[in-house]
Amino acid sequence: MDKFSYINPARLEQVPGLLKNDWQSKVIAGGTDLVGEMKDYVESPKRLVNLKSIPGLDQIEVDNQGVTIGAMTTLTDIAEHTDIQKNYAALAQSAGVVASPQIRNVGTLGGNLCQRPRCWYYRDPDAICLKKGGDVCYALSGLNKYHAIFGGGPVYIVHPSDIAPALVALGAEVTILGASGARTMPMEDFFILPTVANPFRENILASNEIITRIRVPKPDTNTTSFYLKLHERGSFDFALVSVAGVFQVQGKKCQQLSLVLGGVAPTPWRSSEAEQVLRGQVISEALAQRAGEAAVKNADPMSDNGYKVTLTQNLIKRAAMMAIG
Amino acid sequence: MAEWGEARKSSLLGKYTQRLSGPQKVTGQAKYTFDINRPGMLYGRILRSHIARGTLTALDLSPAEQMPGVKAVIPLIEIGKEIRYEGQEIAAVAADTRDIAADAIRAIRFDYDPLDHVVDLGEAMSEGSPQIRDWENNQSERQIDEKGDLKAGWATADAVVEVTYSTEVQVHTCLESHGHVAEWNGDQLTVWASTQAVFGTRRDFARHFELPEDKVRVITEHMGGGFGAKFGPGVEGRAAATLAKEAGRPVKLMLTRKGEQNTAGNRPSMVQHVKAGATKEGKLVAYEVSGYGTSGLGGGAGFTGPYVYQVPNYRTEKFNVAINAGSGRAFRAPRHPQGAFAMDSLMDELSEKIGMDSLEFRKLNDPNEIRHAEYDLGAKEIGWHRRPRVAGSGTGVRKHGIGVGSGQWGGGGGKGTKARVNINADGTVEAITGTQDLGTGIRTAIAIIVADELGLHPTDITVKIGDTLPGLPSGGSGGSQTTPSVSPVVKTAAMAAKESLINHLAEKVNVAADEVIIKEGSVTIGNNQLSWKEATSTLGMETISEDGSWDENLREGGAAGAQFAEVEVDTETGQVKLTKIVAVHDCGLIINRLATESQINGGVIGGIGYALLEDRIMDDQTGRSLNSNLIDYKVPGAQEIPEIRAIAYDTDRKVTGIGEPVTIPTAGAIANAVYNAIGVRIRSLPITPDKVLAALEEA
Amino acid sequence: MAEDKTRSTDQPEDRQTDLHQQVNETGLSRRNFLKGLGTGAVAATVAPATLAEADSHGAATSAEITRATAKLSINQQAYQIEVEPRTTLLTVLRDGIDTKGQRVDLTGAKEVCDRGACGGCTILVDGRSVYSCMMLAIDVEGKEITTVEGLADDGELHPVQQAFIEHDALMCGFCTPGFVIASKALLDQNPNPTREEIQAELSGNICRCGTYPFIFEAVASAAKKMK
Repeated sequence: MDKFSYINPARLEQVPGLLKNDWQSKVIAGGTDLVGEMKDYVESPKRLVNLKSIPGLDQIEVDNQGVTIGAMTTLTDIAEHTDIQKNYAALAQSAGVVASPQIRNVGTLGGNLCQRPRCWYYRDPDAICLKKGGDVCYALSGLNKYHAIFGGGPVYIVHPSDIAPALVALGAEVTILGASGARTMPMEDFFILPTVANPFRENILASNEIITRIRVPKPDTNTTSFYLKLHERGSFDFALVSVAGVFQVQGKKCQQLSLVLGGVAPTPWRSSEAEQVLRGQVISEALAQRAGEAAVKNADPMSDNGYKVTLTQNLIKRAAMMAIG
Repeated sequence: MAEWGEARKSSLLGKYTQRLSGPQKVTGQAKYTFDINRPGMLYGRILRSHIARGTLTALDLSPAEQMPGVKAVIPLIEIGKEIRYEGQEIAAVAADTRDIAADAIRAIRFDYDPLDHVVDLGEAMSEGSPQIRDWENNQSERQIDEKGDLKAGWATADAVVEVTYSTEVQVHTCLESHGHVAEWNGDQLTVWASTQAVFGTRRDFARHFELPEDKVRVITEHMGGGFGAKFGPGVEGRAAATLAKEAGRPVKLMLTRKGEQNTAGNRPSMVQHVKAGATKEGKLVAYEVSGYGTSGLGGGAGFTGPYVYQVPNYRTEKFNVAINAGSGRAFRAPRHPQGAFAMDSLMDELSEKIGMDSLEFRKLNDPNEIRHAEYDLGAKEIGWHRRPRVAGSGTGVRKHGIGVGSGQWGGGGGKGTKARVNINADGTVEAITGTQDLGTGIRTAIAIIVADELGLHPTDITVKIGDTLPGLPSGGSGGSQTTPSVSPVVKTAAMAAKESLINHLAEKVNVAADEVIIKEGSVTIGNNQLSWKEATSTLGMETISEDGSWDENLREGGAAGAQFAEVEVDTETGQVKLTKIVAVHDCGLIINRLATESQINGGVIGGIGYALLEDRIMDDQTGRSLNSNLIDYKVPGAQEIPEIRAIAYDTDRKVTGIGEPVTIPTAGAIANAVYNAIGVRIRSLPITPDKVLAALEEA
Repeated sequence: MAEDKTRSTDQPEDRQTDLHQQVNETGLSRRNFLKGLGTGAVAATVAPATLAEADSHGAATSAEITRATAKLSINQQAYQIEVEPRTTLLTVLRDGIDTKGQRVDLTGAKEVCDRGACGGCTILVDGRSVYSCMMLAIDVEGKEITTVEGLADDGELHPVQQAFIEHDALMCGFCTPGFVIASKALLDQNPNPTREEIQAELSGNICRCGTYPFIFEAVASAAKKMK
């Protein structure tokens, strides 16, 4: 890693100011993504602002309306929390399949949501791709087996977070602290698709802003949720395709649902076509099949990742069947 | 001529013995090269090229030289020379800390004239691609091998299969990267090396620095994996010693993970176009193959074929294709896993075409009786009868299948090892030789052999290996040669030491030598019994020290091997889940059954990676590898491991060697199992979900 | 393609600055765009905090640390090591020399990938398994660090260590310290694991020699002994 200076703020309110809004400073939470990027010289911030020195950011507070989770809560704590396992299963399950136990013991909610893409061109410090200010997205005409089939262009990364699809599916809200104070927004709006003007970032945070907590509303009765992850390597691998499903089901009738895909787009990708097919209907295998087909109707595969279309279709189908047990 | 005696009668040979190095390794006390800290030691680091091809036009080392904490900087390439692959060494530094060394290489400036690179096999071969060496269309000369009358063979074939098989570039991925600690003391050089060949490494250093060999000492007490990649100092070793000389201080230079994955060797890829024919009675009659692969810029690619199975008429054509990438090195059974995957798949494709059971077809064309027995044993263990008779006929989304793979190896060892057994007056016993233990367990095998001879327990033997200082050479640990090369010499040394002790005691007590019996920790002389220690204490000021000698009768070459895989393929996701693998392997006389089973497990797991996961990926735009790290280069982890039944198969043969045969049959067995499950054949490794889905969709 | 010719004339910092300028420009225009939409998600540029300012709580909390003497507790022994912020815990364990001139020399934890991907550097921090190569040394002050060298109790091996030896759960041994620690952590959390649970909890550790089957047996065996 290049040299950097380290700051241990005592209070949360100091953080935006300390970040200076110049992209030369970054926060460090668990460090499990950032330290790797810095060792590869993909990121070389001059200054790190340590969030671990601020007390009170790692609490899980359950109440009758929902659960509030501090941004510095570790993934292990989320995965092992009995209330979250019971009532927000998609979140516990997604946190529980991130990487490995050693990563989960240190990695945080905020860090996981803000982690950078795994695209092998992005992670190559000598490839100045579009996302890093260059002229070309190498994945577009290069090797794109792990890249996007939805929402891609001008860059084609997939968002690597497992908990992001779960939080979006559960209708979570995220609180952000910036220079002018805190604001809250739906998790779904936190992530942004790449545009020609801004292919650089995966979320709306300015360089002096951080996530402080998320709030997940308690699902209605008769709601179950889950997270399904397909990977090439069972141990410690990112998703080829994943899906977070939240289903309110009476008998076999799906009253409400939320289906959000991971591993297919630069953001967690709500499968609204599939939701439309299933919403208000009695789920059967035939309907589940139709939902899968609808989910990929507008897929836009690249040269090497057509298999993700099949995976997505089948995973949506499985999710629908899982909802009716 | 010595003999092993009836191994079955031995309480040690062929039994389960705990590895002697276990206590050191589980407590973190075992010191590997990476762990060596010497007084005043500096940390070395290599600057590597980030381009695949270009001519070096400028190299400015001064920013590194001027950096505080940097004590030596050397170039590793000359101006005007061509850079030929990503990762090629440009310069090296030695600095006070690891972090300063990393800063220093980043400060070095170099400039180059870019040249067009090519890193894709197909592109390298085509007209108009950059000519990156003196081979036309980047292809080496064809190596042709012919036998019999191919035309006549085709004429008698009732079934013909004509297909293409391909395998990936696989990276050794030793957990301890290549590296050395080099320390000069006047004109004496001591090197701690992570190597498979302490004596070969010594010779290499001596030649490079123009020193007499006895001025160089190479030490490898423990090392973290070799798999064929670590047979000499390489650029990094010579750089470490040069930096140490310049700085006047010891230098530790270990490769980074990226350098290790990128430049420290790999198993070359293979593409083969093969056509084979068989009669309906099940006889192979014709085989024709044209195949190639890449080992980077040089030769070294290749595959065995025809393989294991006899065919009277064949023609083979094999060649190398050059690309701008790090070169291949010997990797656990070089050329065999490539060839076996293809041959095992081919045998199944042919047997299906003539409507014969795959095992029956194999036996008809395989003269090796041991392998027949291994097929039978393995088939029974896996439940061969449970496999779908018609491939892909299972119902449901998840389909199960069973497949078989086979292999063969030479091994057998050779002369050249010197070993010594010392019996000291205090009862301690030393066994000394210049071999090295890569995790193979040779240290414990040596202890077992000596203990078996002297009636002691393996933990009573102090084994001293991995050091050139005693001057008892042994060969590099490759080719599965170590155990068969070392065992005979250690055995005869132990026998000689025992005889010396007997003669000494006989003389002392004034009896005939045959009245002295050494057995089970005690010594019986006539009617008197002494403990081992009491007996040796009679040596007084003397030590018994006997060298062994080579004995042909204690080893032989030739190992067979068969593996069976059971898989479950999820036809909706393309994921291949391994349920069970049965691996039956012979290696002649088994010295340590526990370590042998570990080798079998290890070979199978290496084969699982080869079959399903691993692939070094090169990007044509940048000329770089995209996955020189342990996230994107996928080796088997805990969740990839099925139930593995490792069967070390006893034969009456002599010590043979087991390191390599065990990784050969796995990919073929898995590929055949996948076919049996889904009825669609995947002819390209690794068998990843995208390939399975594509194959299912095409069907 | 816009490929820089040599690292020498285009250091990553330069590229980053260009990139950041672009982003700031883009960000600015995007911020205006958003402001126009009335999302309210806009911040004016704030004057940077001055270095080492003290706040009303009295403590200097904005100090920019460039060097520190990390006070670490490793295997219940106190160490004081001069570090930079970028010094990882793994580097301290393997290469660290404390202020008294004594080498830490805890080389059980290995440098294998140095990227938190393989488990070779696994140690315990407050009883939880972590990748020491990804921990900054200054972040583990005040925490209890346990390495493989600290497992044996007065010379007596931990049941996991003993089981590894008995079941030959090691070959070259380079991954062994990481697996021993990860296995101990696993059994501390889950004293009665199934084979699937063992596999899942050890999924953060790589063995290239292929000792996994015997590792699983060793862990199951140690679990029985530890009951």
